[in-house]
Amino acid sequence: MAGIDKKLALWEQNGLITPDQVDEILAFENGDNASPNNWWLYSLLVLGSAIIGLGVISLIAANWANIPDSVKLAADFLLLGSTAAAIIWQYDKTSGHWFDALIMIFLILCLATIGLIAQIYHIHGQWYHGLLLWSVITFPLTIFSRNVFVRFFWVSLFLHGFVWSCIAFADQGLGKNFQAMPAIFLFAPLAAAFFYLLTQRIKPITHFASSFYFWFEVAGLVALIAIDLIRSGGDDQTFNIAWYIPSWLVAALVIGLIVTRNDYSLLNKALLISALVLLLFYYQPNILFSGHTRYTFAALDAVQPVSLWMADDVRAPLLTTLILFLYAIHAGNCGHHRTFNMITFLIGLRFVVLYFQAMGGLAATGIGLIVSGLMIIGIAWFWYSSRERLQNWSKRLAS
Amino acid sequence: MKTPRMRLVAALVFPIVVLAGNAWMNHQQREAGKRITFPIEGFDPRDLLSGHYLVFKVNYEIAQGNSCPSSDINAKLCLEPEKRVYPEDELPAQCTLYLPGTCNSDKQFDAGFERFYIPEQKAAQLEQLVQAKRAKLELSIDQYGNASIRDLLIDNKPWKQVLSD
Repeated sequence: MAGIDKKLALWEQNGLITPDQVDEILAFENGDNASPNNWWLYSLLVLGSAIIGLGVISLIAANWANIPDSVKLAADFLLLGSTAAAIIWQYDKTSGHWFDALIMIFLILCLATIGLIAQIYHIHGQWYHGLLLWSVITFPLTIFSRNVFVRFFWVSLFLHGFVWSCIAFADQGLGKNFQAMPAIFLFAPLAAAFFYLLTQRIKPITHFASSFYFWFEVAGLVALIAIDLIRSGGDDQTFNIAWYIPSWLVAALVIGLIVTRNDYSLLNKALLISALVLLLFYYQPNILFSGHTRYTFAALDAVQPVSLWMADDVRAPLLTTLILFLYAIHAGNCGHHRTFNMITFLIGLRFVVLYFQAMGGLAATGIGLIVSGLMIIGIAWFWYSSRERLQNWSKRLAS
Repeated sequence: MKTPRMRLVAALVFPIVVLAGNAWMNHQQREAGKRITFPIEGFDPRDLLSGHYLVFKVNYEIAQGNSCPSSDINAKLCLEPEKRVYPEDELPAQCTLYLPGTCNSDKQFDAGFERFYIPEQKAAQLEQLVQAKRAKLELSIDQYGNASIRDLLIDNKPWKQVLSD
């Protein structure tokens, strides 16, 4: 309430609202009509539940060798059954705090049970197969959850299990091969985007969309930064087609879902599909890239430096900027202000990094540092002063 | 499934049934198959322990001429009547007990058994025993090639018994 008090006082001082209106607003907020703002209570309950779940796992893990297998399993299933009964008992309660906290405990217990079975029977599966099994069996329960954290928890583990399992399915040697990491980086945002678009279309699960959207943005940025580093750094990329087949398949599904969306204008569809296709090309080492760099340490030793337009460490930032720019116009066009601001800020940041890549030696001198500082301030000022204009321009594009 | 409460009950029962079924299947698998033991050894003395499990390499004791016919293929190790590795689709009909696996790039058969969960406080002791080549892995294998780990044997006795003596 302290925040609203300060704001009301400020609005009253500036003549925006009358003292009577201030009293009415305060009476409303303090009275029975106040909207329930118990996020802290929810958070603490869910956090407490997660810690209890982890405590149970630790207790079993620390003493498991001394407990007979049958006792361990019986205790585990008894705990699962009791939690399930408590969830049913809490279902009709109006507050719902304990309902979500118990669902959280149940989800963690299911995960612990998978681990316990793997431990008792020495199952030689991979962690991502365990996560995928867990997400499949617990999905119906998460639909009943009223708390965003529970859904976010489920979506986070599901995406990890799904992404790693798909790439591992495409190539059986994944567990011992970190060269497949770029394929994971590419597949993760595509999978998140696919589920985001899918959940928006299926009514009972639309409330999962925000969690998938969060992971789409995070994984998308990671994918872009990772491939930019690989290309700009002149690193060798082992390209095994099998690792990328899941990405291409899901990309085709994502394009299909974008094309058939009624609320996207033709411009939005074109922007998203272009950004997606460019990202797919980015991960192909032989289409848009030459394999030569101009500013890396290895390239500096070369007898004849590669030309500016042939250099991967020039092409990569241009491609990164272009993908970000396409997505920023889409975000601005759709009214996603935060995403638009973040993406345009990242474009500016990439220019600063490009400057340091190309003029790294200069930055070690006094003049170089002054120029670098001026450039950072200049880009920040340009971004701050032109972002609204750019967003308005992107909105006008579709009209 | 008419009321939301019934749907909630079903959503809660479903994971419990799947997990219980999984545990029961693994139990059946472990109890029903034929017991076979193989000696084990560490990959590398430095990384034998990984968290709460022991990482090892199984020595399938395959005679030189009967080993993998080529590298990087799916294969089956026939255990009875003759121990020999065959490409996956060339297993002879008279083979009554086998293990599915792969032939790696070094033409060595691998059935994927490489870890055994152990309590942390016993880890150092067990690591020494494995390094001293006193450990064996007891598997349970059925006629369809389904295999599961039964126990870790030290000097042909269950590890729990040896460490409690």
